[in-house]
Order: sequence, then C-alpha cells, then structure tokens
Amino acid sequence: MIRERGSPKREYEIPPGTLDMLILKTLARGDEMHGFQIADFIQETSDDVLQVEEGSLYPALQRMLIKGWITGEWGKTEENRRARYYRLTKDGRRQLEQEMQRYERVAQAIARILQPARI
Amino acid sequence: MSFQAFRRRLRYLFERDEFAQDLRDEMRLHVELRARKLHRQGVPEEEARHMSQRRFGNQTVVHDMSFEAWGWTSWERLFQDLRLGMRTLGRTPGFTAVAVLTLAVGLGINSAVFSVVNAVMMRSLPYPEPNRLISLWEETSQQRLRQFSSSGGNLGKSGGPRRTTVSVANLVDYRSRGQAFTGLGNFAITPMNLTGTGTPERIPGESVSAEFFGVLGAPAAKGRTFLAEDDQPDAPPVVILTDGFWQRRLGADPAVLDRSVVLDGKARRVVGVLPPTFQSPAQFGFRDRIEFYVPATFPRELLGSHGDHEVAVVGRLKPGVSIRAAQDELDSISAALAKQYPNSNDGVRAVIGPLHDDLVQDVKASLFTLLGASGLIVLITCVNVASLLLVRAVARRHESSVRLALGASRFRMVRQFLAESLLLAAAGCAAGILLGRVLMSVLIAIAPAGIPQIRSVTMDWRVFAVCTAIATITGLAFGIAPAWQASQTQPVESLKTTARNTGGKSQVRWRAALTVAEVALSMVLLVGAGLLLKSFVVLMGVDLGFQPDRVLVMNITLPAPRYNTQDERLRFFQQLEERVRPLPGVRSAAVSNRMPLRGGWGTGISVDIDPATSADVDSQAVTPGYFETLGIPLVRGRLLTPDDRSGAMPVAVVNAAFARFLLPGQEAIGHRARRGSGPWITIVGVVNDIRRGGKTDNIKPQIYLPAAEVGLYPVRLGDLAVRTAGDPRQLANAIQSQVWALDKDQPITDVRTMEEILDASVAQRRFQTLLLAIFASVAMGLAMIGICGVLSYSVSQRTPELGLRMALGAEPASILGLVLKQAGGLIGAGVAIGLLGALGLTRYLESMLFGIHRTDWSAYVLAVGLLAIVALAASLIPARRGSRVDPIVALRYE
Repeated sequence: MIRERGSPKREYEIPPGTLDMLILKTLARGDEMHGFQIADFIQETSDDVLQVEEGSLYPALQRMLIKGWITGEWGKTEENRRARYYRLTKDGRRQLEQEMQRYERVAQAIARILQPARI
Repeated sequence: MSFQAFRRRLRYLFERDEFAQDLRDEMRLHVELRARKLHRQGVPEEEARHMSQRRFGNQTVVHDMSFEAWGWTSWERLFQDLRLGMRTLGRTPGFTAVAVLTLAVGLGINSAVFSVVNAVMMRSLPYPEPNRLISLWEETSQQRLRQFSSSGGNLGKSGGPRRTTVSVANLVDYRSRGQAFTGLGNFAITPMNLTGTGTPERIPGESVSAEFFGVLGAPAAKGRTFLAEDDQPDAPPVVILTDGFWQRRLGADPAVLDRSVVLDGKARRVVGVLPPTFQSPAQFGFRDRIEFYVPATFPRELLGSHGDHEVAVVGRLKPGVSIRAAQDELDSISAALAKQYPNSNDGVRAVIGPLHDDLVQDVKASLFTLLGASGLIVLITCVNVASLLLVRAVARRHESSVRLALGASRFRMVRQFLAESLLLAAAGCAAGILLGRVLMSVLIAIAPAGIPQIRSVTMDWRVFAVCTAIATITGLAFGIAPAWQASQTQPVESLKTTARNTGGKSQVRWRAALTVAEVALSMVLLVGAGLLLKSFVVLMGVDLGFQPDRVLVMNITLPAPRYNTQDERLRFFQQLEERVRPLPGVRSAAVSNRMPLRGGWGTGISVDIDPATSADVDSQAVTPGYFETLGIPLVRGRLLTPDDRSGAMPVAVVNAAFARFLLPGQEAIGHRARRGSGPWITIVGVVNDIRRGGKTDNIKPQIYLPAAEVGLYPVRLGDLAVRTAGDPRQLANAIQSQVWALDKDQPITDVRTMEEILDASVAQRRFQTLLLAIFASVAMGLAMIGICGVLSYSVSQRTPELGLRMALGAEPASILGLVLKQAGGLIGAGVAIGLLGALGLTRYLESMLFGIHRTDWSAYVLAVGLLAIVALAASLIPARRGSRVDPIVALRYE
C-alpha cells in the first residue's frame, strides 16, 4: 500500500473492508462518476475525514469491474477530457446491500461494547 | 468465480495493451483534476501539481496493483521467466545442446523401457473384469519327488515345490467340489495338420474345455462358443476359428458356419468365429498365432488317472470371493484328494494366483531390473545436468549480483533459475520421447519372443505422463542446487571481485558431491552388468553333454486316423530314415519322441533292487542312430541296435545319473527297470549325461528305450534329427521332399537347427545382459563427461594457483599429480559408495543370475577396474591442461 506520508493528521484511514462499500454507495446515488469524482465525493461528503487513497482506489475499481459490480464506460468530462465513467450494476446494488447490512451489524456490536448497558 | 467474470478476465488478457493505456489515461486525469482542485483552494499552480503527484504516489506501482486485480500477474511473471530463460539458453547453444542431449538419452531410455514394462506388466488383460481371473496349477512337494538332481553338476536353482500343469482327473474334482469359481476352463496348445485348403500345413491351435470362453468372458463374433455337450467323447467334431483364420484362409466367407475344416484328417464343423480382438491366455508369450479352438476331449483312462498333469487352467472367481478364500477351499479339496488317492495325490496341492501375475512372472524380474537400471540412468543424467548448471550459475554470478542489487527478490531469482531448468527439462523430455520412440522399436525388434504382449507395445498416455513427470521432477531436482546458489549470491562481494569468479566453498562441495554420486551410480550399473555378463559366460560354458552343432531337427506329427498305431508310425519313420540317410551331406539320422531342447516326457520308473518305489525318470524312445546323431558318448556297455525290436528281449540304455541315483554303488548293466507295471527292461548300456532342456536344465536320470519296441513307450514318435557334414539348413528341402515322397499330405514343422534352438533358449538372458551392458556403458560415458567437466572447471579456476606453483619451480608432473589426486579422491569415494549400493541392489538381480552368486568377486573387480581406468582417463585430459599452464600467462591474469 502506498501511504501518503505528508497527508494532514486529521484525516483518517478508511477502515479496512469498507472501501468497496463506500465506492458502491457513492455510485448508488445513480450518477455515472469517474475515479477522481468518486474519491472527491467521499472526501467532501465525509468533511475531509475519509480520504480515499489512489493507491487503493484504482485496484479496487479494477476488482469490482471483474466481479461485475460496476461497469466502466468512456465518456468526456465538461472540459472535453477522456474519462472512464463508472456505473453501478444490479449485482453491485445487491452487493452494496449485503455489505451495508454486515457493516451495520458490526457497528452495532461495537457500539454495544463501547456503551456499557445501563441497569 | 462466475463464467462472466472469467470471460471478462480473458478479454483483459487479449486486450491488455488497451487496458493499460486506459488505466494510464484515467490516472493522469485524476492527478490533473486533483492539482486543479488544490490550485482552486489557493495553492500555487506548480506546488499544486507536485502535491497532487506526491499524493497519488508511484503511478507504476498503482498501475501494477490494478493489473494484479485481474489475476494474471503470476502467470505473466512465469511467462517472463520462461522467455528470459529461453533467451539465456539460446545465448549458450553449446551448453543447451549438451544438457538437452544428456537429458534426452536418460529420458529416452527410460520411456522406451517404461513403454515395454507398461504394455507387458501394467496394461490389464483384454477380458472383462480381469481381476477376477485366476490361473490354477498344481504343486508337488519336494518330499514326494526323490531328489535326483545331481549336486555336482547342478547349476540351476532347485528347492521348493515343483510346479506342474493340472491333472484332468483332479480338475473334475476341483470343479465339482469347489464353490469359489464361476468356472474353471482348461486349455492346452494343440497344433494340428490342416488339409484341404491348399498345401498341408501344421497350424497352432488349442484344445479347450466348454467353460473356457465363458470364464474369459469372450463371446463369439459369429455363431457360438462351445457348449457342454461339445466336449463329450462321442460328440460330433466341431471347431471355432479365429478371425485371422476366417479372413486369411477362408476369405472371410460369410457362410463360414456352414463349412467344415479338416484338421488332423478329421472334418470339423465350424460352429463359431471369434472377434479379432480375442486372445487366449496361451497366446501371451507364444510366438505363433493360435488359429483355431477345438473341444478338449479326454480319453477315459486319462480321466481316471490323477497322476498325469496335462492341462493349463484358467478360472473366474465368483464376485466378492477373494483369492485367499478360494485357495483355502482348494486346499481342503487337495487334502481330501490326497486321502482318497494317496498314490498319485499325496503332496500334490492346487494353487491359484492372479492370471496376469502368472502370465508375466517369467519376465517380471528381468523387466523390473531394466526399469530400475533405466531409472539409475535418469539419475545420472540428472546429476550431470545439475553439475553443468552449477558451473553456469557460477559463470553468471555477475548477472545474479546485478539483478539482486537492482532489487530482484531471492525468491524471484530461484524462480528464474528453476524456469530455466524446467525449460531444459521440457526440451529434454520432448527429445527424450522422440528418442524413446526409436529405442522402443529397437527394443521390440531385438526382444526375444516369449515376452508377453511385446508386439502390442506402444507409447500410450501413461508413457507420456510418466516421462513428463520424470522430466518435471528432474528439472526441479537438478535446478534446485544452482538456483539456491544463485539466490545466495552476495551482490556486494561478488561485484567487487569482478575478474574471476571462484565458485566458493559450498559450490565446490556441491560439485564434488555430484561427481561422487555419478561415479557411484555408474558403479552400481557396472556391477549389475558385470554380474549378468559373468553369468552369461558361465551359461555359455555349460556342457550340454551332446553336440548340438550341425544337427537339423524337424517335427513330423502323423495324424491319428491315417497312422493309427505305434507300429504304423514306426514303419513310416523307419522308411524315412532309410531314405534320408543316403542323402549327400547326411552323416547320420535318428528319430525319437522329442529331440533334446524340444520338450520330453517323464515317467515313473522302478528298478529291480527296489521295485516298490518309482522315480521320475526322463524317458525317450529312440532309433539306434540317436546317440551318434546327437553326439552322446557311450560310457559302458553297448548302444541300441536295429535288433532291439518288438519280439526281442526288452532292453534300454540309461545315462550315468540314472546309474548313480537309482543303482548307487552297483554296475547298472544287467539290472532291470520297468515303467509302472510294464515289462522288465534290461539295462545294456550307460551313456553320458545330457542336459535335455538346455543349458539351464539340471542333470536328471534318463532312460532310452528302443523305438522299435513299441510296447515299451506310450508317447508317439515325432522328431527327426539329422547330423550333416556341412550347413544343416541346406538339407532341409531335400529331407522335406523325402517326407512328401512317402506321404504328400504330411506337413513338416519346426524345422530348425539345434544351434538355433539353443540360441533362442538363451535369447532372453542375452537380451537383458546386452541391455544392461549398454545401460552401464551409457552411464559410464555420462560419468566420464561429468568427471571431465568438473575437473576442467576446477583446473581453469586454479590456473593462477597452478601458474604460481610452476613459477616457484613445480614440475609439470607434480601438477599433473595434484589434479589427478583430486580426481582420485572423488573417484575413490564414488566407487566405495557405489560398491555398497551394488551389494545392496544386486539382491534384485539374484533371480536373473545363473551359476554365480551375486557377490561374485570377479564382477566387482571388473567393474571397479573398468570404472577406475575410464575415470582416470577422463581426468587425464584436464590434468594435462593444468600441467601445461604457462606461468606468465596465468599470473598476468591477476
């Protein structure tokens, strides 16, 4: 993994295993997006807390292409630059639901441990 | 992974360049957009571009990681390794050629031998459910057989129960009392005279019981197989033809089932034709094609005689019945029979074994020895190539160092080197299979008849699989040492000392170990070959007791209806002898039941001093010329004369062993002997012992009865032998025309010289001896190349040292000694280890040795001597080069 050494301290690593989910969720809003837009969207939406590393983004996109969760089609940006726009597939939506369920279960479980039950 | 995903991955594989370009574009855009964003946030343009780039990190790595997602990377690396390997090998064509050729020799020999072993030993028999087929024979314990083999002249093996074919009378009981078998079929090869379809001819056939085809699970292609009523004595005569007979002799006549065939003068109705694939168990190891099958009918007296062992038996176990259980059942039947017929069955036991094992038992030891020997050769080639690769690895230390210094992982280095050796192995395997194909044809061509299924030897998938497996294993095995070496290279050290790459200590040890291994392996093969050679020499030196040179033998079987009595047959042969004797070139002629080397018959004989016990004596009815024709010298008394005929006093001549064992300490002449309850026969002469069955046969008591006293013997006359002045084969035609002058329908078969028969009888031994000798020479040659290579290399490494020694006044002779001493050490160690290995491994040769023990010192001395001389000769070449080093040139190098 390539870590950005000079990155500001207040940014956090994306928890392992959740990058796919975040990408899928980002695409689930329905728009076609290219790589930078995805990374930028996650960063902006999380108030700069989550920073997607390019070193992980592109391999993850390739992986999801193989699995058929997303498709990539070439188009033009507003500035008329060639860019690959990714779009969620039916399989991808199903996968997203599964991952979100799993994530919620884990998050709830963690929460239960962190907040001691009141008697 | 779904098929869809795999299709996407495949598409990637073929449009890789496009994919790469896309990814690069995508990433470039990403960096630009990031920079623009940073710039918008107030970072100066230059600074923003740098930040963006830094943040993205190493584009190439991200690129590679993205590609890895497609899952082809490891394949790609392998492909790269192979391509690089191919290029490096191509740069050193000399080395590559030597390595591939060496491997091809090893693998070629191995695949040729394995294809024979595969066809003969491993392929299952061509019958349904062959595992349930068993072979049944009878064993007579040695207690029952009085030991008559002479101890002095006995060179072959003895001991253990004597194995015989099965008595028909006993077989009836095995069938009726046994529950373990679906059937027991008996068969015996029964050649018959075929007439009525062109020239009379004697063709091989079999007489079989009705169960035979059912047991084998072989239906007829046309018509039917035998029914139970076919083998009744009064059944109408029938015959089943093989596909070959039907095609060749009857022109594939579709109405064949309406035809008859005349065999031994009897017209037999054709009831069935067998499919072309059918092969009788008797055919395995039998040279000529069996052409017909007739029902085995036995005369009533044979069905009551438990002591005559006449037929071979094949059986099929009922499903689920083990061989053990069936054997237990047979044991109890044998015990019951022994009680019921103590005279004939005491000590006789029916034994079964898997049919396949039984068919291949004669050649098993020999084939597995050859396979073992070819395995040793593969090992030697493997060692040789490993040694070559080591030298190369040293020469390439600079390259390895550079690669390591540039960041190649050690794992990647090992893989690279292994890829190279696997490439060599693959090339060697391909060349080996090609060479093996040629060697296989040679093997088949020189193989003696009698190896079952030798004609069906082909290279099938198993041969390829084994060859490939061996090649892969050897590739890894001989690649691992140099690969390890290369990965252990210390780049800093190695790059510092650029000029001369000495191998280092571990390198030297590896190579010494390989050389020692090579010498040791060759030693084992040499000892094995030496033992076989010695035993072959011993075998050839065995005195047969008669003179087989310039004797022509042929068989004339007079068919029953035409020549019904012994007298008629005797008259025919006496007339024939009269006609043959005056032919030019004929010295003498004789007739007997069977001439030596062509089988015989034994019978129970008792002598007048102990009439109650009978001993198994090798018997023969002969005409008076027999002893002169075969060159058997008279010891005492007289030979048989024309006056010894029916009506005269029954007389016989015996051999010295008969006198020794049956009449110990007495003068045999004048004593009387009898066959069973027959008339007493007076012994009138004693002749020399002969080994009837050939060189490996034991000396047995023998009795010669006058052929003219037809009442004395039950076996029909059949063999004519002629001693000639010149080449015996030239008389064959003249003799044949004399036979036809007497009876134009009479076929003559098995016309051969005694020397040809002798030759064939040692053919299998000669074959295995020859092959092992060839293998040993190949091994020795490879070892020589190995030693020469190791020493040359070591000399070239030591050139400065040797130069220095010479500059300081060392004589060339002492340098020579220095190198030779190094060679001597390696050779000595190899010979010592090889000797130990040979002592252990020759155990498996024991059954193939004749007349010598496996520790026979002369074979070992021969092997050590030969190997030492050859190895020293091989080391002399590099040693001389070492002693001619020019000190000035050598030292200038440093």
